[in-house]
Amino acid sequence: MELVAFIIALAIAYQALKGYRLTKQRTLWYIHVSFAALSAGLLVNSFLGFLGIIAHTLRSIVALSLIGYMIYFLAQLVAYGLLIYAYVSHTRTLNMTSSTAMLASLFGFVTLQARPIRLFGPLVEYHPIPEIVLLLLVMYIAIQTGLNYSATKDRNALLVFLAFLLLALSHLFFILEPFSELFFVIGHILQLLGYISLLTMLLRVTTTR
Amino acid sequence: MTQKAVKYRSQMRIYVDIMRAIQRDENHAKPTRILYSANLSHDRLVKHLDELKTLGVIEEIVERDDRFYKLTQKGIEFLNQFIAVDRFASAFGFAI
Repeated sequence: MELVAFIIALAIAYQALKGYRLTKQRTLWYIHVSFAALSAGLLVNSFLGFLGIIAHTLRSIVALSLIGYMIYFLAQLVAYGLLIYAYVSHTRTLNMTSSTAMLASLFGFVTLQARPIRLFGPLVEYHPIPEIVLLLLVMYIAIQTGLNYSATKDRNALLVFLAFLLLALSHLFFILEPFSELFFVIGHILQLLGYISLLTMLLRVTTTR
Repeated sequence: MTQKAVKYRSQMRIYVDIMRAIQRDENHAKPTRILYSANLSHDRLVKHLDELKTLGVIEEIVERDDRFYKLTQKGIEFLNQFIAVDRFASAFGFAI
């Protein structure tokens, strides 16, 4: 699932780079760096997860998955932080919500110190604090894209809003992991659906004349 | 006192508005038509048309006493790419 998400994030980053080269618009550069960071994080996380599986020993599985998760978490922090910065600088308003989001991203670095909790045996780890931070950040982006959709009523804007809403929901399900193993699976499915929504938008904007 | 939000068009947006005005007129537009469609003063239009000619995205055609402008192949390709980028940025809520 993460490999599919990696390819989609890379495609979005590439389209944003193409746009930046054409228009020199800074917001497109932010989208490019943001999705490039996300794709790198997804790749590292899935690669280390795969290495963990072939490593056989339990200790290496746990260590590699923890390193993978931390790198992916940092990548998401950079990506969502940049997107929020793009929205804040674009609207030129540093209101309460954006200030909270900025503080949340700073708080994210502190959460790296937080130890994960092991659930359902040693293979599924629970990272509640990083997931709460990510949820706050993605929620802010989802609100911004939702406002954009309500103003434009454009289908592509709806797909982007849907994508960030699904990503926010996926983080919510990752937080709810202790209640059921199923939430972990649902979280990953929602994450994939979010990226598929972004891919649909990308195909629509690049193919329709 | 209320502040009125003034939205300025970027140079890129003005270029695209001119090129779209030409395209709308079946790729054969008179300066007056472009002037109205792109909402520009005469002086600014002349300046921007010269810049676009230098970039090689439009060309000037003189037929009898009339002047027309058309998009070159490079101009058509640029406009198509710009439309895709504009849609992409708009989907995220950013204006170019």
